[in-house]
Amino acid sequence: MNHLLIMLPILIPLYGAILSLFFWRSVRAQQFVGIMAQVCLLIASFMLLFDINENGIRTTQVGSWPAPYGITLVADLFSAMIVISGSITGMAVYLFSIKGLDKARQTFGYYPVLLVLQLGVSGACLTGDLFNLFVWFEVLLICCFVLIALGGTKPQLEGAIKYVTINFLATNFLLAGIGVVYGTLGSLNLAELAVLVRTPAAHPALINMAGMFFLIAFGIKAAIFPLFFWLPASYHTPPIAISAFIAGIITKVGMYALIRLFTLIFVTDQDLTIPLFTVLAGFTMVLGVLGAASQNDFRKILSFHIVSQIGYMLMGLALFTPLAIAGSIYFIIHNILVKTNLFLISGVVAHRHGTFALKKLGGVYLQQPLLSVLFFISAFSLAGIPPFSGFWGKFMLAKAGFEIDSFVIVLVSLAVSLMTIFSMTKIWNEVFWKKKPESDPLLEVMTEQKQHHNRLLYLPVVIMTVFILFIGLYAEPVVAMAQLAAEQLLNSELYINAVLKR
Amino acid sequence: MKTIILATAIRILIPLFIIFSVYTLFRGHNHPGGGFIGGLIGSIAFVFHTMTHGPQHTVDTFLKLNLYGYPRQPNQSRSLYLMRMMRVNVWRRRKMARHPDIKHHMVRIESVYIIATGLFLAATSGVFGLLSGQPFMHAYWSDFYIPVLGKPGTPILFDLGVYLLVIGVVLKITFVMSEE
Repeated sequence: MNHLLIMLPILIPLYGAILSLFFWRSVRAQQFVGIMAQVCLLIASFMLLFDINENGIRTTQVGSWPAPYGITLVADLFSAMIVISGSITGMAVYLFSIKGLDKARQTFGYYPVLLVLQLGVSGACLTGDLFNLFVWFEVLLICCFVLIALGGTKPQLEGAIKYVTINFLATNFLLAGIGVVYGTLGSLNLAELAVLVRTPAAHPALINMAGMFFLIAFGIKAAIFPLFFWLPASYHTPPIAISAFIAGIITKVGMYALIRLFTLIFVTDQDLTIPLFTVLAGFTMVLGVLGAASQNDFRKILSFHIVSQIGYMLMGLALFTPLAIAGSIYFIIHNILVKTNLFLISGVVAHRHGTFALKKLGGVYLQQPLLSVLFFISAFSLAGIPPFSGFWGKFMLAKAGFEIDSFVIVLVSLAVSLMTIFSMTKIWNEVFWKKKPESDPLLEVMTEQKQHHNRLLYLPVVIMTVFILFIGLYAEPVVAMAQLAAEQLLNSELYINAVLKR
Repeated sequence: MKTIILATAIRILIPLFIIFSVYTLFRGHNHPGGGFIGGLIGSIAFVFHTMTHGPQHTVDTFLKLNLYGYPRQPNQSRSLYLMRMMRVNVWRRRKMARHPDIKHHMVRIESVYIIATGLFLAATSGVFGLLSGQPFMHAYWSDFYIPVLGKPGTPILFDLGVYLLVIGVVLKITFVMSEE
């Protein structure tokens, strides 16, 4: 039962993808299989979370090969929480794409690829082996490439090429880092590596170098300060269902890997990593939010905000106290949900009005009041206004920063929050509040026809908003769990003992 | 690229490639070989065939199943009918093809289905372990020994899945590229 629980988040999307391949000709069957797989995945990941909460870290050795030799899968609270938020996102995106994506794209293998992407997310979160982590990131990269390029319009191909080129670079750095680690320490199992780097025989300079390779690789994947330019250039090109999923989850999986490695393995030289992370976090936040302020497209503003929010997650790693890491974890979960929801809302608006440009939009508040309320909740969550979810993440991070007297980064993060409110107000003013600009009557007719079948588009947005409200208004259990997860992360002995069975 | 030498040679080479690929597939557990390389060797046969005769001909020769049949008589029992159909399709194919009452259907095996079958076999080989409380991909071996092939066990299912997957992917790539 123990082995089955850890495998289910990987097996369910895999079997879902296989089944949808068998129904290659029938989009309806693929939709059904996809939804069923997502619902089962959500249930399975919640079961996994409760099991870990009760019994501690769970491990399984694939193929019964014992720990340092075979591939280990490890599920602790942190990974289970990311898997859950990933599956909520996946479910919402699936519901959205039934109506929100054009038929042509749906027939060319959209559903199987999305399920394989989900498989990659679960795999990257659950693996306990460095090379296996690399393989899962390859799965993610290939699926994202296919999804961004699916349909083959010109801006999509342009975005896909930018995306793939820079991510190949990241992959090379990752592989180089793995090579250095294997060459110096002779193992790839994360738990055994964690033991080996703490022995006096380890070579600190080489391990540091490997750590920097990993920082660059996952920094590109997570869009950290000097390496984020590919993200706003590619995320706004595909249709909204695809960019919502990719924007919501993929960068956060990079962040997950960064937090996992820099709390478990590369902790030996904190005089180097902590100032470095602090600087990177500050610049990522500031530049992301400044970039967003200069944009005039719904999706591009949101894309730049992804970068800015990544800075907060990195800030938790830079402060490196239990509370800060817990803040980071809470913030990742909050951000996955909120960001996906904002993208989906922009999709609903665009489905009705046919554009993402702020200049051409307007008057949505009059026509779709419910959607405006949903946007209001998500935008205020993103900005961190008290009762909503973003506040708790930022509060934990700021408190952790004040506790160890790093005032500068906390002040920067609070200033960035203000700028975030500015961006969200801009969207609110331009899209929802101002009068709709005059447009030609032909377009009006086209949008009138679309109106009757976009009711179903609200469903995923409402579901996501319920989850966002839940983790905001009833934050206590989530915050407590994030703190437990942070303790598990910082107390590496737990992880090592669980994997190596000492 | 239609040359008479290649076209003649390929008729002898195709069985050779396939037999050798199956041999490579089965010796793969303890020796060099296995599903991936076996699949590649096996798909060379189809690639050569496509190169000489074109993709349509390859599909007609290897990936099309001609099934013959006639509607069931009202007073004929269902099982008898099924057995008749099987007999028609297995033993008397040539003769029945010319028979006036018999209709034939063509079932085209698409490469997507080969890929899906391969993935399914490979994934399922791991699930056997899970169902009996062992870790994923725990191997089970049988006690008996088959001459050339060796001991059958669940890993062979995985290799077979990879074999089908590779053949499916290569076929898909070949067909798409040769049609362009």
